[in-house]
Amino acid sequence: MAQLLELTLNGRPRVDAVPDNMLLLDYLRESVGLTGTKTGCDGGECGACTVLIDDVPLLSCLTLAASVNGRRVDTVESLGENGELSAVQRGFHEKLGSQCGYCTPGFIMASVGLLRRNPAPSDDEIQEALGSNICRCTGYVKIIEAVKFAAQLNAEGTAP
Amino acid sequence: MEALHDFELVRAATLDDVLKARAAHPQSALVGGGTDLMVNIRRGIVTPPVLIDVTQVGELQAVNADEGALEIGASVTLNTLAQDDAMRRHYPVVAEAAHAIAGPTQRNMGTVGGNLCLDTRCIFYNQSEWWRSANNHCLKTTGDTCHVAPKSHGVCFATYSGDLAPALLVLGAEVDIASPSGTRTIPLNDLYIGYARHDDAVEGDGKNFLSLEAGEIVTAVRAANTSGLTSAYDKIRIRRSIEYPVAGVAVALLRDGDALVDLRVAVTGTNPRPVLLEGTAELCGGPLNDDVLQGLDALARDQIMPMKTTFTPGHYRRRVASVLAQRLVTRLYAE
Amino acid sequence: MNESAPIRNIGDYVPMVDGPEKVSGRALYTADILEPGMLAGRIYRSPYAHAEILEVDTSKALALPGVKAVVTGADCDKTFGVLPISRSEHPIARERVRYRGEPVAAVAAIDDATAQKALGLITMKVRELPAYFTSKAALALDAVDLHEHKPGNLERDVFFELGDVEEAFSKADLVRQSTYNCAEVCQNQMEMHAAVAQYDAVRGRMTVHASTQVPYYVHLMLSQILDMEMSQIRVVKPYVGGGFGARTETLNIELISALLARKAGGTVRTVVSREETFITHRGRPETDITLKLGMTKTGRITGVECECHQRGGAHSGYGVVTILYAGSMLYAIYDLKNVKYIGKRVLTNTPPCGAFRGHGTVDVRFAFESLLDQMAGELGLDPVDVRRTNYLNAPTFTDNDLMINSYGLPECVDWVERESAWRERRGNLPKGKGLGMACSHYISGASKPVNWTGEPHATVKIKLDFDGSVVVLSGAAEIGQGSSTILVQSVAEVLGLDMSRIRIITGDSDVVPKDNGSYSSRVTFMVGNAAIDAAQNLKQVLVQAAARRLEARPEDIECLGEVYRAGTQDTGASFNEVVEEALKDTGTITVTGNYSTIPESHGGRKYRGSAIGGTMGYSYSAQVVEVTVDEETGVVTVDKVWVAHDCGKALNRLTVEGQVQGSVWMGMGQAMSEETGYHDGLLLTANMLDYRVPTIQDSPPIETGIVESNDPHGPFGAKEAGEGSLAGFLPALTNAIEDAIGVRFDDLPVTPDRVFAAIEKRERALARAAARKKSA
Repeated sequence: MAQLLELTLNGRPRVDAVPDNMLLLDYLRESVGLTGTKTGCDGGECGACTVLIDDVPLLSCLTLAASVNGRRVDTVESLGENGELSAVQRGFHEKLGSQCGYCTPGFIMASVGLLRRNPAPSDDEIQEALGSNICRCTGYVKIIEAVKFAAQLNAEGTAP
Repeated sequence: MEALHDFELVRAATLDDVLKARAAHPQSALVGGGTDLMVNIRRGIVTPPVLIDVTQVGELQAVNADEGALEIGASVTLNTLAQDDAMRRHYPVVAEAAHAIAGPTQRNMGTVGGNLCLDTRCIFYNQSEWWRSANNHCLKTTGDTCHVAPKSHGVCFATYSGDLAPALLVLGAEVDIASPSGTRTIPLNDLYIGYARHDDAVEGDGKNFLSLEAGEIVTAVRAANTSGLTSAYDKIRIRRSIEYPVAGVAVALLRDGDALVDLRVAVTGTNPRPVLLEGTAELCGGPLNDDVLQGLDALARDQIMPMKTTFTPGHYRRRVASVLAQRLVTRLYAE
Repeated sequence: MNESAPIRNIGDYVPMVDGPEKVSGRALYTADILEPGMLAGRIYRSPYAHAEILEVDTSKALALPGVKAVVTGADCDKTFGVLPISRSEHPIARERVRYRGEPVAAVAAIDDATAQKALGLITMKVRELPAYFTSKAALALDAVDLHEHKPGNLERDVFFELGDVEEAFSKADLVRQSTYNCAEVCQNQMEMHAAVAQYDAVRGRMTVHASTQVPYYVHLMLSQILDMEMSQIRVVKPYVGGGFGARTETLNIELISALLARKAGGTVRTVVSREETFITHRGRPETDITLKLGMTKTGRITGVECECHQRGGAHSGYGVVTILYAGSMLYAIYDLKNVKYIGKRVLTNTPPCGAFRGHGTVDVRFAFESLLDQMAGELGLDPVDVRRTNYLNAPTFTDNDLMINSYGLPECVDWVERESAWRERRGNLPKGKGLGMACSHYISGASKPVNWTGEPHATVKIKLDFDGSVVVLSGAAEIGQGSSTILVQSVAEVLGLDMSRIRIITGDSDVVPKDNGSYSSRVTFMVGNAAIDAAQNLKQVLVQAAARRLEARPEDIECLGEVYRAGTQDTGASFNEVVEEALKDTGTITVTGNYSTIPESHGGRKYRGSAIGGTMGYSYSAQVVEVTVDEETGVVTVDKVWVAHDCGKALNRLTVEGQVQGSVWMGMGQAMSEETGYHDGLLLTANMLDYRVPTIQDSPPIETGIVESNDPHGPFGAKEAGEGSLAGFLPALTNAIEDAIGVRFDDLPVTPDRVFAAIEKRERALARAAARKKSA
């Protein structure tokens, strides 16, 4: 069985027929080809698949594609303008918040979600907001630095 | 790419939609955030033919809390609840419990109804289809043996792990239940039918742990305030995020001068139900002292029965639940 | 006069050259490869722990519409394995299954749902055999052998005694023995295992995209398993989502995908689940250690006796190497004489273990640094001073012939002692708080490669063409550790150019020179040196060209990166002009750089396997951990870590810090929350909820100091930075807990329930002692 899915995906309206039993994660990766969003576990345990739905970080691996009908979905591919990296992307790149890069899109989207509601988070607030994302490389020290740097760039208006 | 079993998704917009779909599909399951159900579907643990998406149902989204009472709709997300100012002020135990669940992203998804009706958990149950099949399945699915206690004589020991239930139990909460044939309201404690003590003559166990009839759904939870009651929630987990409770404890108490006049303690993560400790009234009447704490410890030891359903040993879960209870009581009494 | 100067980057904070792709979602990992018509591969796994296979019936699966190929053990009678001496594993089990989850069949179908359905139609008949889930059970006299050629289930028995240990103990003022148990742990890298195999039936060629650390080994094993010429195979390593040693061997997933692709005559993508990634395993074995040390009252170690048993799992893998490292790496950190080592690598009916970060050294280091701390306490010595008393005198060779040239351990210890305010704070912290310290070390690449071919250890090529672009070609597997960045930095540094001029291509066997892969922390040292060699060769070509252009003698040419000139008065020629000149005779220029280790670094011949542990340079690390222990609940919180790492020379301070912090943190996971558990050989913890990798909320600040001992052989003086700081965390943590509450933990991980149980035990003992005192 399939249903009509109308959504705004990375700022563009889009209509697809999706099977009822298709996960949003698989829709994004396999149907649309937005492979930036990653699969890291067998469901809800790692945060690699985090996307924003109406600006709120959610796990696309536990969300049915058909259930985001009428909503706004943003993936890592939505970030940056005119080819420039966004503030959060620059933070993860320049402060080495990303090593192997596999958890990075999920961390970035959770961080974007955080900064959209709290532009100047404390270390504790960053740790609180990123608590659903697992990174196996960094020990998180530089991830916290990355988010703080991004907040600073945003405050200065020096990154898209 | 994950191949889920074939099912139909009903995108409900109103409570009426939900109830109609329930009536049409008695084997359906409600899906809110999916942080419990979708994980189990992905592992082939449950295969409902119809899923009813309740996240967009307006009637289930209300949060009302004031000095007099609280009422929370079943589709309210856990983060909404955790961040609700009035809830934090008047019913801190509820906000604290909501905030302590899983991690922030799961809390953006998970709902109050989903957490109250959270499926019981067990290391022999929360595994893949291949795993469970290699282990000859278990009582909670299609098998005939409980691997936690092979001589359990048909009793399933899976553990209830919702954090909200104990918080709401110590407030004396009730749940609103709707079905295609009408509505009813019952004490929250009666929603759970799994045993507390091992030898309790109750109908339920880890497999049948909710008293909901076919077609019924939880629509809201409500509680009246008790003036002067203070409350708090705390839990032990191995990690601070992405964890079910090793043990979670909610406490509410009322102090009049030096006298402890009301004491309610509820525990999760230990039994096939959230356990509202019985006998706490007998501990009241005087000041809080070591005798009261030891009495509380005895009640906890008697009524909490963790089995080997988690990787963390049962002995620890039982003992640490009592430690948390005593700590919270001591703290609230001193406040 | 021009103002040109060579551009320097070595020693800076340099973001990774492939960072923009990773943060934008453009980096393609194996599972991201989408090809129209691609088939989905799935693996049918044994539900039995140990059994003789009587029949595998795939007929119903094959008959299912949409199924394009089914393979079983019957499709491949070849074996694979990373060590030439122990290739006993079939990609798909034949005759026998030896662990629950071992592949028995595989399916390629038009989509995942069909493939999954087909697995449900496969059945197997077996005769079950006794299964052994512990080292002890597998070593029992009446145990059935897992492998016919390994009697007694002993994969490898190691013994050496260098010096006279009994004599050494008799001269000690204090001799202590303790036993330690470290639970099995998994790499659990974020990317689940995946492979895409493309078979070109017309040409008979195979291309495999694999999430691997060792494309070359995958190439070798594909040739062996498929019985195809190596020249007909191409291995591509896309972006890899972490490895930590899980991917330092060819994995059955890669081989099975290729078998399926050939049979189906098309492309098969196999992306396994997290559970299957856990089952594929290759993690650190459960290890039991009995350690005995002798010490003088001044803290000098007189002798060491260590017995180490590793539960290796059902196949050999790296097992022989792991058990040898555990013994040889007792050395090379302190000045040890009189060392006896007994190692047993055991075959059990559990998933095969492998080479987890810190390979072979971690659990033994935990035991060693724990006992050292305990004995320091008994002798009333400061643990820091006891380490100082036992420093090596570099340069030197150890008793087991390991070559040590640079030794920054003293500076590491000084750094953590100072930064943590150890002297002022230890012993003066509030109740429940404690400080602990420990040291550790690691190799910078095994000096003898696994496959000895006589070729250089590393080869790098640089291509220079008409456009003035410098393209580095390397087979070094970038897996997130930053190897590509280090190679670009090294080439840029030698040529004096900005890094933006340099591009790097890696990970495609059709294009890049062979490399042994990313393991044993070999890449910076070996491939880095090869890159420097290549860049120097290119520089010579350019200097020659500049000399022609400027009509000067080559020895008078000065390379300023963007400008080459003959003497300070000369305006010189631009880089592009020099390139134009250089290309005149030869066209496109390709230079080669090589690196080989020196024989002195190859370890000795004092015992069988003594080459293991030999390296060109050892990294050193010291750390101090501060903890708070909640004695009522057993919950331990790590408040802060101070770590100093001697990496010879930090080529890139940003990535060195990242590697050191990641190592410390991974050690924290092993020490505090990570462990596998089995139920009759079924992995209970094959998910990321029960296998508890620390979250950001559990993770402490890590103050990171870099010590630069400038190794004479290292690239720009560098040694490894990505493994050596892992092992130190484990004992530093338990030493800190001991400092906090007076209870020593010899078993890992130290989870709250274990702390709680130990405190209960301590309280009961105290109560008994009080009662005895009263009655007396």
